[in-house]
This record gives sequence, structure tokens and C-alpha cells, in this order.
Amino acid sequence: MSVILHPYDVRDELEIQKALDFNRRKQLKHVDKVHRAEITNVVELTEQEKLFHIRILDAQERERFSFLPGQFVMVELPGYGEVPISISSSSSQKGHIELCIRKAGLVTGLLHACKPKTPVGLRGPFGTHFPLGKMRGKNVLLIAGGLGLAPLRAPIYYVTENLGEFADAHIIYGAKRPKDLLFDYEYEEWRRIYGVKLDIIVEKPDEKWDGHVGLITQLLDGITFDANDTYAIVCGPPVMFKFVCNRLRDMGIPMQHMFVSLERRMHCGMGKCCRCNIGSTFTCIDGPVFDYWSVLNLKEAI
Amino acid sequence: MKYLGIEPARPKVAVFDFTGCEGCELQLANKEESLAAFLGSIEIVNFREVTSTRRDDYDVAIIDGCISRDDEVERIKEIRSRAKILVAMGSCASFGGVNRMKNAYNLDDANREVYGDKPQATGLTRSIKEVVDVDLEIPGCPVSKEEVERIVQHLVLGVAFTFPVSPVCFDCKHRFITCLFEHGKLCLGSIARSGCNAPCPAGGLGCWGCRGPAEDCNLEQFIAIARERGFSQKEIDERLGFFGGFEGLR
Amino acid sequence: MLFKVMAKSSFEELVGLLLESNEVIGPRMKTRHPDGKGVHQFLPITAFADMDLDYEKSEYSPKTYFLPFKENLSTYRFQGGDWEQEIKYRIQPRAIVGMRACDINALVKLDKVLLKGDFPSPYYLARRKNTFIIGLDHDPCENGFCASVGSDIVSHGFDLFLTDLGDRYFVAIDSDRGYRVAANVEIRDPTEADNEAYVQTRNRIAKGFKVEVSIRNLPQILDLEFQSPVWKKWGDKCLSCGSCSAVCPTCYCYGVEEKVAMDFSESAKVKRLYSCNLYDFAMVAGGHNFRPSRESRLKYRYYHQHRGFVETYDEPKCVGCNRCGDVCLAGINPPEVITDLEKEAAR
Repeated sequence: MSVILHPYDVRDELEIQKALDFNRRKQLKHVDKVHRAEITNVVELTEQEKLFHIRILDAQERERFSFLPGQFVMVELPGYGEVPISISSSSSQKGHIELCIRKAGLVTGLLHACKPKTPVGLRGPFGTHFPLGKMRGKNVLLIAGGLGLAPLRAPIYYVTENLGEFADAHIIYGAKRPKDLLFDYEYEEWRRIYGVKLDIIVEKPDEKWDGHVGLITQLLDGITFDANDTYAIVCGPPVMFKFVCNRLRDMGIPMQHMFVSLERRMHCGMGKCCRCNIGSTFTCIDGPVFDYWSVLNLKEAI
Repeated sequence: MKYLGIEPARPKVAVFDFTGCEGCELQLANKEESLAAFLGSIEIVNFREVTSTRRDDYDVAIIDGCISRDDEVERIKEIRSRAKILVAMGSCASFGGVNRMKNAYNLDDANREVYGDKPQATGLTRSIKEVVDVDLEIPGCPVSKEEVERIVQHLVLGVAFTFPVSPVCFDCKHRFITCLFEHGKLCLGSIARSGCNAPCPAGGLGCWGCRGPAEDCNLEQFIAIARERGFSQKEIDERLGFFGGFEGLR
Repeated sequence: MLFKVMAKSSFEELVGLLLESNEVIGPRMKTRHPDGKGVHQFLPITAFADMDLDYEKSEYSPKTYFLPFKENLSTYRFQGGDWEQEIKYRIQPRAIVGMRACDINALVKLDKVLLKGDFPSPYYLARRKNTFIIGLDHDPCENGFCASVGSDIVSHGFDLFLTDLGDRYFVAIDSDRGYRVAANVEIRDPTEADNEAYVQTRNRIAKGFKVEVSIRNLPQILDLEFQSPVWKKWGDKCLSCGSCSAVCPTCYCYGVEEKVAMDFSESAKVKRLYSCNLYDFAMVAGGHNFRPSRESRLKYRYYHQHRGFVETYDEPKCVGCNRCGDVCLAGINPPEVITDLEKEAAR
């Protein structure tokens, strides 16, 4: 007589056998399995930033993959690592995403050397999104500083594609120098969309620049809106969104009507590695999109 | 050997020895299971221990050992002028290494102690960066071949390599080792840079800090702890000075 | 939960039966401190006698059998510019004998994080389900404060849990698997006298705690004392070595390292448990560090243990084993840090 403990194989679980879908958060899945994807196009935006068009290869997974503006994915270069990148494209496109990536570290550096057809891995989408549904019928201020236009581009798409849902839309964008401006080939398109205003400001103009010069908060001086009927999405470095949001608060916009996206060091995207914790809050699960009131209540957030 | 469609560079590499034991150079020729791939990923144009080729058209110069004689100063300057990237390999090249200990003594006495009545030309020990600009330092006595492989893998694809910032304690704990202080031994594990996988503590020997200090290490507190546990300032200073990595922090 | 009673000889027999066909892990004395005190670790055993069941607490927590320091998340194989991903989960069963209540409670906390919320971890689930746990009660360890954080009594998370009643064990059975395994040896229903002896033993254990830490108002105190000089005092001592997290039975944070073979034929994606006290824990690409000071990192660790976790799960993450205090060269330990904070708040 002996006692044999029976092996348990997690792969026998029915839940885990379903097609990989990171939107089914509570369900057991292969959390570290990546969607096989392919870089289909690379657009050089500035010296430091490139836009990568990426397509999920498996038809079934591509069909399932959906995200909301503000969410991010983990991009994997097998052998070198994974990085969290917020999605810059329209959420209405199926199985195709665009990621604006700055050359900052190991994986992003290597991504910049990648050409179309490179097979990469994708996990996600992860995190919270900008609650655009709540903004129905209201004015929307879409404000970005520097690389902040990358996460803002997804809600810009949403707003421009669903303009009828909003009372008024205003895009405000500030960068250090004219050559740092992202997506400059799209400004004309945004401007021509009926009802969208676009204002751009740079801190350090070059000789060809004939637009606004100064800090982004200056652009807020000239605008008027019904503060109670206005929502704002503010993307950029903490020092920028702090100034902008405080300014908007002083102009009367409720802090819970302003949304920002926080950057932290995510290793998993699933609230497990703790690397992105702010106090007790997981940036990857409870964020990266937070309303400004919550941000002010997060200790060590800004 | 392409990586995801990216053609790695195959840099021309030369390895030169200065004052040191050449153990790090030997490390480069170790790890047989991946040696062929390692040597295949670079083009060795000058490396006394593995090839008879002697060429000067190198992109990367790897320096083993420290500077301790005047003729070495000239030689390293010459190498620096030819190399696009100059790598200081090992604790001697990075910090001066064990050789640096002699700087604490009268040089003539040290010379007599080692060479007796046949004194040799010798000066103060200096690390490579004290003489010429260094692009990368790989600390360790000896360096870890695995780490060197990873550095090369980054180099050939043109991306930066970063060393672990944590102290040796981190590696040590991951090997379930009982703290050597508990056995009454002095150990620099809590302030020395990891990445070595703590072979010394695993063998019952306290860490000697061959990789230099961990990022933002708490030296002041460490010394207080060591004193509290009965180690003399002299013992602690000797330990910190052994590889030269803590020079400037003390 | 079912309760049974088993003779000590039957328990020995049971471990013997398990050993015949399974890997069994138990507390073994690894070495001795210079003062003669044993240092214990959970290691594979080959015989019942290998174990020292009277151990106080193991130096390292047995969590590493569920959350290894290093674990392969996936392997990539490269060919012709393309790659395939391979993922493996543990499927070999094993038994761990002699886990203390605090360490089992630690697993119950980890279950909440890793199995019950969003994105349950298949890696952890595979290890958890493949581990048969026999717990064993013990008198309080020298400086543990598990009773203060409600971790001295364990109500689930194990298969069998034994309480020593002198010549016999009082056995709590928490799983069908536990019931079936225990049925292989002589086991009987408890009598009135057994129940009484059990309650008395529990009372004796409960009275044995020498260290008490008041955590009732700790989440609020931590909020109030966010800028407290207490953090500088302890932060200045901290060596930022991460040893506390390594020995902690509930610390689960990690980093991912990828290593590609020298010939680019394959690569391993390895999860490595990390520590919030390590310098680059909150560093982002480009070099910005959200917690550059030792003080801020140490403070964060206490916040996660005693505030953040409480907010989410209504209980602290800490189980009161004080392993972090034991391992810390700088002498940073929860009872003293928390007492300091309380004093500061009362001022």
C-alpha cells in the first residue's frame, strides 16, 4: 500500500483552453503567452520616436482583440524583453494597432532597429481607459504635452470618429521644439474635421515656426467653456499635467472630470509584479488612466 | 546569425593584457558549450590567449589588468587612439584590483618585498579610466563569462547593456544561504554589486566586493554594523580596499 | 472542516507512505548558529527522521515551493527569423510536511493575490494544486507576532493540520484529498477528552506570545505619518539589500529577465522575485526613479504590508513571522518600526 499524490495539469482546465483573450480578466488563461504579431509598417515621426503598425497574426485572436482608448499593451521582443506601450490608434480598427515608441531603453532601442515583417509578441490590452462614454454630449478638451500625444491619439480618434456624441472638441498640444512635434502630418486632417479646434505651442521655436510660443498653460488663457459641462483628458509628464489640471480646476472643471495617464515601470500588466505600485494602487490595473482627484489622493503619485 | 531580421554587427575585437593575472582573459576562452558561438559573433584580430593573429584594425579593445608602469601608459594611449570602444575588463582594469593594495605602502618597500634585490620598474597602480577614457567597465574577479556574452549580444545589436544594481545579498538570498555574519564572518554582500550569483558566500567565504559598490550602497551603515559585530576598523578598511572598487567612497 | 485524531506513530507511518512514491519536503536542520541554535530550512527528505518537527521557524519561508525565486515563464525558439513560444507549468505533485500556521496563512494571502483577482496565475495554481500540505502547530517562536496580525490560527489553505496533544495529534482535515490520504493510516474520531485537550493546547499557545504589535489603527497611522521622521530614522539604516522580501512568506513582487542563447537559437523569459527595497525597483526606462531614496523604498514596503493590502483585502499582508527582522543586518523589524510610528502619531 502506498499513497500516490495525483498530478494536476493546469492545461486540463476548461477556462485555460479557450482562445487567448486578455479582456477576460477573471478567467484562467496563459497569462504569459503572447499574441503572435507582426510589424506591418514603421513610420519615422521624429529623431526619437517611431510609429509601429502591428497586426495580430492569428485570425481568431485578431477577431477577439479589442481595446479602449487609454489602454496599453506589452510588446515583447523575444530574448530581450517586454515593454508597456499605450495604444495610439483607433479602437475601431480590428486586430491592428499603432504604437508610438520612443527610443529609451533596451527593448525600445532594439524595436527601432526592427523592420516591417518582424514577428513580435503582444500581450494585452491592459489597464483602464478614458471614460469617453461619460463625456457624451459634453465639451472635451484633449491636451497633450510632448510624448503625451501618443496615448492621446487614441481618444482623439474616438472623438473625431464620433464627433456627433460630443458638444465641442478642442485639441491642445505643446512640445519643446518644432522638430519634436509628433504626428505633424495629421494636424491638417484634424483641423479640417468640422468642429475640432487644434492649438499647438512650442517652447523653443526655430526660424520657420510661426505658431504659438511658450508653455502649454498659455493656450488655456484664451479659451472659454462651460466648466460644468466640460471634460478634459490630459497626457504628458507629471509636471505638465499637474500645472494643466490645477489650471483647469481653477477654471472650474471638477477634478473628477479630468483624466490623466500615469507612467510607471510595469513588468506584468496584471497587478502581480508590484513594480508599478503607487502607494497601494496598481497603475496597470487601477490605471494608467486615473481621474485627477484620485491622482491627488495617491501618495507619491506626482 | 540574424536576430529577427536584424543583422548583428561583427565587431573586430582585440584583447590586451596589462598588470593582472590574465584570469579574465582566460574567462573569455571558457564556457565551452557556447564558445564557438561566442567567437563566431565577433572577429578576434588580436588576443594572445586564443589566436596568433596580431592586427591593429580593431573596433573594440578589451583591456585586462591595470596600469602600474610607465610603458603601460604609452601602450594604453596607443590602444585608445585606435579603438572605437574601449572596455575595461575585470576588477584590475576597472578599479586597479588587488594590485591597488600596494598604493597603501611605500613603493620601494613593496618592490623589495616582491622582487628582493632585483627591483623592477613599478609605479602607483591606476585603473584604466584614471589614464584614458573608458567606454565600459565590466567588473568582477574574474569577470563572469555569461555576463560578457550578454554584453556582446547587446553590443552586436547596438543596444546598451545595464549591470544589476542590487547588492550581492540579493543573489545570496536566492541561493538560500545563511548570512555569513551569522557565522561571525565579515561580508561585503550588503554593499557590493551583484550579478555574480554569490559564489563566495555560497562557499562560506564573505564577499570581498570584486564588482565594486552596489548602486547607492549604504556604506556608512554597513561600517557601523560591522563595527557593532566586533570587526575592527582596520579589518573593514582592508576588506573595502581589497579590490579598489570602494575607492573614493570611503 | 473535519477533525480526527491520529497516533504519533500513525503520522510517522503516513509520511513514510508518502515518501514511497512522492517527493516530500520537510523542515531540516541545515546548520547551527555559533550559539548552538539550529538553522532550519524546508528541504527534500528521504526519511521521517530527516525532519526536525520541533523547529521554531525556518530561516527561509516555504513560499519558494510555490513562488520560486527564479521561474521560467516561457521559452522562445528561433528559426529563420521567426520564433515559437513554449510554456510549461509544474505537473509533478509533492508534499510539504510541518508547515506552521503563519506560513500556511501566508499562502492563503498569496492565493488572494495570485488566484482570486484579475489575471489568475496558472504558474502559481499549478504549484499550489500539486502540493499536498500537512501543517503542524507549534508554541510561539521567540520573536514572532503572528497572533497580533491574526495569523496564529489557520482555518484553511492546507490538506491536513496537526496539533500535538502529547502522544497523539489532533488532525484538522481541509480537503477531500487530505481525507483520502489520512485514511491510509489508523485514524479515529476525536473524543470529548481529545477536544478538550485540543482547546487547552490552543489556549496555551495563544498565551505564549511574547511580542505584541498593535495594528488596529495602523492603516490610518501610516497615512498620518507619511511624512514622519520615523521613516528617515529607519530608512537611514536600511541597506537596500532586499533580504527582507526574500525571506518574507508573502512578498511576491518580481522582475522579468530575458536571456538569449549566444547563438540566438533560443531564449528564456525568467521571472525573478524582486524586492521593493532594491534601488531600481521603481525606475522607468530613460532613468527616472520614482523611489530614489532608501527611506521612500522602506516606507513603501511597510505601506504595502500594512495599508495597501488592508485596503484591498481587509487584512495585513504581514503574517507576523518576523523573518524580515531576523534577517536584517541593520536590525529593522516590524515591531519596532510600528511602535515608533504609533509613538509618533500619539505625540
